[in-house]
Amino acid sequence: MQQFIQTLVNGLTTGSLYALIALGYTMVYGVLKLLNFAHGDLFMVGAFVGYFAIGWFGGATSLVIPAWLLVIIMLTVASLGVGGLGVAIERFAYRPLRNAPRITPLITALGVSFVLENSVLLLFGGLTRYYNTPAFIPFSVSIHIDGVSIGIVQMLIFGGSIALMFVLLQLVNKTVLGKSMRAVASDREAAEMLGINVDHTIAMTFFIGSAMAGAAGVMYGLYANQVANLIGFLAGLKAFTAAVVGGIGSIPGAMIGGMFIGLCESFSLSYISTRYGDLTVFAILIAVMLIRPTGIFGRAPLQKV
Amino acid sequence: MKVFRYWVAAAGVIALASVTVFGGTSSAHAAKAAKAACKASLAIEAPLTGQVAQLGLEQLAGAKAAIAADNKTYGTKVTLAQDDTQLTPALATTKTQAIISSNAVGVIGPSGSQEVAAVGPALASAGLAAISGSATNPALTTSGANTTFFRVVATDAVQGPQDANYIIKHLKPKAVLIIEDEEIYSTGLGGTIAGILQKAGITVNVQSFNGQDSGPTLANDLSSIVSSQLNANETVTLMPIQEAADAQQFAEDAKQASKTTTVFGTDGTDSSSQFFYAGSLVSNFAPDISTVKSSLDKNVTKEIKAQGSYGPFGVPSYAAADVYVRAIASVCKAGKTPSRANVLAAVRKTNIPAKANPLGEVIKFKANGDLTQSQFYLFKINSAGKYIQIPSK
Repeated sequence: MQQFIQTLVNGLTTGSLYALIALGYTMVYGVLKLLNFAHGDLFMVGAFVGYFAIGWFGGATSLVIPAWLLVIIMLTVASLGVGGLGVAIERFAYRPLRNAPRITPLITALGVSFVLENSVLLLFGGLTRYYNTPAFIPFSVSIHIDGVSIGIVQMLIFGGSIALMFVLLQLVNKTVLGKSMRAVASDREAAEMLGINVDHTIAMTFFIGSAMAGAAGVMYGLYANQVANLIGFLAGLKAFTAAVVGGIGSIPGAMIGGMFIGLCESFSLSYISTRYGDLTVFAILIAVMLIRPTGIFGRAPLQKV
Repeated sequence: MKVFRYWVAAAGVIALASVTVFGGTSSAHAAKAAKAACKASLAIEAPLTGQVAQLGLEQLAGAKAAIAADNKTYGTKVTLAQDDTQLTPALATTKTQAIISSNAVGVIGPSGSQEVAAVGPALASAGLAAISGSATNPALTTSGANTTFFRVVATDAVQGPQDANYIIKHLKPKAVLIIEDEEIYSTGLGGTIAGILQKAGITVNVQSFNGQDSGPTLANDLSSIVSSQLNANETVTLMPIQEAADAQQFAEDAKQASKTTTVFGTDGTDSSSQFFYAGSLVSNFAPDISTVKSSLDKNVTKEIKAQGSYGPFGVPSYAAADVYVRAIASVCKAGKTPSRANVLAAVRKTNIPAKANPLGEVIKFKANGDLTQSQFYLFKINSAGKYIQIPSK
């Protein structure tokens, strides 16, 4: 039972990270029908921003501000910074290709992914860098129940991702910006004719999606305690799988898909073999594609006749 | 017509005379020129980027330092081309093809055993010597496939028994968890140590994860091993892997889960900037010469630091580059232009005394490319994250 609960905790933690990245994937796809394969690398950039933010306040072992404030600053700076980067990428790499065939921005997205990875490599080197989280959030700050350990960072990741999803749902369903997003997603030309600023709406979609990837990067850094320039690609691929399994374009779908993928991976690692995590996740992707191509929450597109 | 024949005969005689006179002069001139400016190119295959970049950057600094120092000592003009393999066989294969097509007369590296296994036969076909400062899988020199491969460090046939015996004698565990990353180096070394531990009556639990994983997936791999595989009686966890940062993460995960185990890393985890968990043990084929006071060690440390970062992987690459420059210098001294064949032949004849080798051993190769004598060293990580050398027996 102890192992079961610990595996559940691990799965929900990893799943929350996948879900946060998947939310950005799904938002951009919903509005632009673009698979932004550079999204995983925005997660990596967020992790790096968080790393440098620790340094701005004296470093992990000699912080000049309380740890809770540092975490808030890290999340804020990474979200804003990576959100801005996402907008810049949209403006310079994707907007000029908005009317190009769909394969063109897809290939560009792969290119942007490599540009980000290698830019970070060029700027900061290829070495793994450490958050040294235990120095400011000690391991003792955990809940221990019957041999199961739940760290405060794990709770932050799970709680934070759920909270962000609800905020996002409210934003999409209850605000003017959300209405604009839904209108652009439904029919871009019609939205433009109705006076919606399509460029602004798409830029804001990129900002919000990228900001969440940035926040996920910081949460990952706090949890795994290390960052490197190559952490984004596989994370992006898993998040993409989560978005597809949940139903790409659906916000609750991305969240549920992320949790589902994280849990499947974790239970596979714990109960089948420590080798088969990746195999399980991608086998699920294939199975979902065969059985329910629109994913758990996805809807078949309406045929315009 | 007759006149024409005379002209043809005269031209033939002149041409023959020219070839004899100028041809002879030309070959003598070439020998002289080679002696005067002993030029040759080497290539280094190492992970200069990626998850184990620290390893490759140390190796690059070591190789550059030796070449710079030896060029002064021997009057050679040896240059070094850099080829980043990211420790992956696929990239190593691409880079090796490029090196074979270049004018390189020798390769420093490849770094990983899995890379040597992938490219060793191609290097052998091209007659190109390869001297690795870190590929330790014993099969590389016993398989017969890598006939131009050498290494300046001990093999896992030395490391495996030494580490196993240390664990048995000093750590006295009832059970040991071995975590492999599914690479040839990892499974080979893990298997060797597991066999010795089992013979000593110790229960061995071998688990593995995908060494190519990164980010949240890697974090999940390691935390799942801690939660589902690390048993209470497994007071030692052996990690024969090549990414030091993974050993650090595993140790922290175990602490987070309140599980007590001593992490024992093999040579792939030797990096004080990436694996610094207090109380852990690390074995490696190179001593830490930065703390030794001999003039050779002091000079080599200084030379490496002038080229980049000093670390345990730099010194063997220094030694490998030193072997090459000495070989190239000996070829030039014999009046020949360095080529792959004569440099390879000169490498085979290497005999560098221990006092001239910062690794502290004689560099003399067996027919299969292994050193005639070699050893491994053991370090304990103190509370400040510093590696302290301890007796390995």
